[in-house]
Amino acid sequence: MIKKLITLFVVSLLIFSCKSGGNGGKSDDFDVPEDILNEGVLEISEEVMQDIVQNISSPVEMAALVKSLDVNFSKKYLAPTDNVDELATSFQQALHLGIYAADLGYLNIYNKTNSVIEYITAIKTLADAVRVGQFFDFTTLKRLAQSNQNLDSLMYISVHSFNQMDKYLRSDNRSNLSTLMITGIWIEGLYLATQVAKSDPHPQLAERIGEQKIIMGDLMLILDNYKGDKNFAKIIDELLQLKEEFNDVTITIQKGEPEAIEEDGMLIIVQNDVSVVNISDEKLNSIIEKTEQIRNKLISI
Amino acid sequence: MKQFLKLIFFSLIFTSAEVFAQENVELVAQCAASSGDVTYLKDFIVKLDAGVPGGNPPSAKFSMVLSKNTQYRFSICTAPDSDGEAILQLFDMNELQGSTYISATGKEFPFFDFKCQKTGVYHVFISFKEGRPGEAVGILSFVKKL
Repeated sequence: MIKKLITLFVVSLLIFSCKSGGNGGKSDDFDVPEDILNEGVLEISEEVMQDIVQNISSPVEMAALVKSLDVNFSKKYLAPTDNVDELATSFQQALHLGIYAADLGYLNIYNKTNSVIEYITAIKTLADAVRVGQFFDFTTLKRLAQSNQNLDSLMYISVHSFNQMDKYLRSDNRSNLSTLMITGIWIEGLYLATQVAKSDPHPQLAERIGEQKIIMGDLMLILDNYKGDKNFAKIIDELLQLKEEFNDVTITIQKGEPEAIEEDGMLIIVQNDVSVVNISDEKLNSIIEKTEQIRNKLISI
Repeated sequence: MKQFLKLIFFSLIFTSAEVFAQENVELVAQCAASSGDVTYLKDFIVKLDAGVPGGNPPSAKFSMVLSKNTQYRFSICTAPDSDGEAILQLFDMNELQGSTYISATGKEFPFFDFKCQKTGVYHVFISFKEGRPGEAVGILSFVKKL
């Protein structure tokens, strides 16, 4: 009797482990080039890494800024999805996952549901390849995009899916892929902002581009952890050239005390510390040019 | 027999871990929905043990980049079965910017808005009143450009 019970439990455990492993569990035959795996001691700890990476780049905020400036939507800013099946390594897949996440954010902000399906299809392919597909609810997203309704849900599920993938990659000791995803989101967001700044210059846009100097510092810190890998080394070299362009951008802080205001029972905090960005037109142009160069190189990998 | 008990024990652990993850997803969705007409950006899931008597209440820290000229919303939702009630506080370096609980007046808010004027790294701390144990979800949402 005990023997039968044990057999039953072993079988149920096997079934369970298959279910939870599915796309998500780590297996030895996972097709990650050896030089891309987390190995050795990281220069900064995983804990510090997690501290840095929260919201370092959001797939929504840059697009929201562009929309708030009454700039029309343009498909020319999006990365093409036709070469998705040719992305063979997890390095390329994770990087493109981030790039398409930013593009999906841009499409969602402008309610361009027709093009959403093309991007969620590409994202699903890459997410499955990186084995985080279980966090991307493709069926629901497709239904929402096709019905052109519940756009809030479409946005929520998209952003939440990426957060889940990012969390899972980090908890699964694959922070290297999470870092690539974040890098992809960031560079595509910057590409959008710089391209719009080129055709529709606006002081707020120039300021936001200049502020990327702060974010870039953190991003480089994370990327530097993986400089031992030749693919990472290449991307670090490219981004270091961009970082150099930001050297002449200055950011000063005017101090002030935060104010709390209660309106209709709602608490609003107004920050009175103000950051002021100084970026010359020449510098802005060289950042625009460099960003375009790097981003186009990355999508042509 | 010992092995049989071990198997039961481990299978229960794995099952409860899956249930806990599912509950988190639901709580995040509920909390995001209750944050109002805003765009969800991030969630902060917290599970804390009880604090030591006389000591500081345990807290969880999350760091994030916030951008200038942007209005954000910080919401907090305590899990239904939690003993303690969660508080979310926003710091810029060591300077408190906002909190869902104003200790001077005893007032509580399910969320507060933060009109950010300085791009940089900010820190969210989530703790439970009187250092009680509990589970909670904090949500960062985008409200509008200023």
